[in-house]
Amino acid sequence: MDFRFDEDQELLQTTVRDFLEGEITAEVVRGLWETKTARSPELWKTLAEIGLPGMLVPEEHGGMGMDEVDFVLLLEETGRAGLAEPIVATAAVAAPMLRGVGGDLAKQWLPKIATGDAIVAVGHPSLPFVEDAHVADLLLLPAGDELHAVLAADVEITEQPTNDPSRRIASVSFAAAEGTRIASGADAAQLWETAFDRGALACAAQALGACDRMLQIAVEYTSERKQFGKPIGSFQAVKHHLAAVKVKLEYARPVVQRAAHSVASGSAKRGLHVSMAKLVACEAAVFGAKQTLQCHGAIGYTWEQDLHVWMRRAWSLDRSWGRSPAHLARVRAAILEPDARLGAGTTFSNA
Amino acid sequence: MKILVCLKQVPHQDARLDVNGDGTWIKEDGIKFEINSYDTYALEEALRIKDAGEAEVVVASIGPDRVTQALRTALGMGADRAVHVNDAACQGSDALGIAKTLAAIAKEESPDLILMGLMSDDGNASAVPPMVAELVGMPSATAVVATERSEGNIRVERELEGGAVEVVDVPTPCLLAVQSGLNQVRYASLKGIMAAKKKPLDVKTAADLGVADAVGTAGAKVKIEKIYQPLRGEGAEILSGSTDEIVSSLMNKIKELGLL
Repeated sequence: MDFRFDEDQELLQTTVRDFLEGEITAEVVRGLWETKTARSPELWKTLAEIGLPGMLVPEEHGGMGMDEVDFVLLLEETGRAGLAEPIVATAAVAAPMLRGVGGDLAKQWLPKIATGDAIVAVGHPSLPFVEDAHVADLLLLPAGDELHAVLAADVEITEQPTNDPSRRIASVSFAAAEGTRIASGADAAQLWETAFDRGALACAAQALGACDRMLQIAVEYTSERKQFGKPIGSFQAVKHHLAAVKVKLEYARPVVQRAAHSVASGSAKRGLHVSMAKLVACEAAVFGAKQTLQCHGAIGYTWEQDLHVWMRRAWSLDRSWGRSPAHLARVRAAILEPDARLGAGTTFSNA
Repeated sequence: MKILVCLKQVPHQDARLDVNGDGTWIKEDGIKFEINSYDTYALEEALRIKDAGEAEVVVASIGPDRVTQALRTALGMGADRAVHVNDAACQGSDALGIAKTLAAIAKEESPDLILMGLMSDDGNASAVPPMVAELVGMPSATAVVATERSEGNIRVERELEGGAVEVVDVPTPCLLAVQSGLNQVRYASLKGIMAAKKKPLDVKTAADLGVADAVGTAGAKVKIEKIYQPLRGEGAEILSGSTDEIVSSLMNKIKELGLL
């Protein structure tokens, strides 16, 4: 079996990286922090012109018609750029949810997602707050065992504080009605379950990118900063910190990519693979934040140093779409269940 | 209208460059490549002409398999088809060998306009565009910073030394070598990249173009003798003290050297 990404997937990654490197600088992110919403409609529109929000939107609705394996490299790039626009909620979660619901709702909203004319926020029943509710046009929200699609005008939003100016979360309340219900019972449960996996997978991929970027920043800094006549990165006490981050990152990447394949193929082990991916990717990113900050010394604590842009993203992603205990519980349950199939011969099995 | 855009794939601007074993070029293994930045402005200019009306944009490049990615990117940005001269015999060509190859493509395509970057980010010679123009018998203008098309003519502004600008009328068909900053280069879209898979990409050899004798190290009149990192100079002295002391010390040294 060939696990490598093909030329098309790598070219799409290069294309997105070139775009993000050109357009999403640390200055741009900081500039967005100063705005009321921390989001830019113009940027969202440009992202749509590139094709990012419509990656998982079917071609008949104007999207790219791709799957999670195609998307995972691009999500990593958005993490590397520190991009906080609602790619995870709208592109990675809401688009496939609406595709799954189908009907007029899909016909109405999927083309708008692809063209950048709509942002859709998702309030998962297991999560206390809704990310990007403040800029959403449509919200997919739980009420009991039901799933509702509610227009922004029909919800009440209470914004909540965060330690990442890029991350905007809110508690959302609404009046569930017959007209807003789009699924219930087992159908809704199934949609919410896959939504959780897609959200966690997207966060994991972004965490890889954020970790890689922090490592890059630290390598550049420790190559330039000299002490005792040598770059500080040449000293073992410094470079071993960064090597440890690199090891964690490289071990996490294939786990995330395997999870993407599991989601795309509808594997029965999808939840296990996604939780493992979320755990190792966010562990790498949070560890990367700590170690790269250590390698910067005092300058790393300053507002002017860009490192904290990605450190905050790492912490935010760790908290988004399930914190570590929730994902650990899923992995623990899979391992400890009486008929768990573990060990050699089961690694690549979907059963 | 047919526009031929000649692209070169060069090492990525952020790539770490190391000299190869025999000291005649860089190690190309493991580094990223991208479209030469000057050529991206040429491509954007062609695509703007296409967007404004009827035009076919053909992109051409010379190099190994990796060049396919540059051509696919150009197709993804909106070019209609591509010509890739993928021939190991072209390895080591000098500017004239490259120019003869591109001129052979131009003679096959008979474009109304050839657009190229003023120079390449790696070679920096600015030699190929005028050579191609001469070989295909077209008038040309270099260092183009603005264009204005009219029937049978393109009025261009050329950047001269000291910030001066020269305005030249160039009759078509012609070749323009564009300066960076001519326009705002668009990004390829993901949809464009996927659509590019269905666009024609012709692969040719030097023999197909009738230039086998002109390319490669055998056909080159100019050879690279040596590539090396600039040597670190000795004898730099950092003056210290108050500003007045530094100025005084500097003046004395200038006088000692007889420069004042």
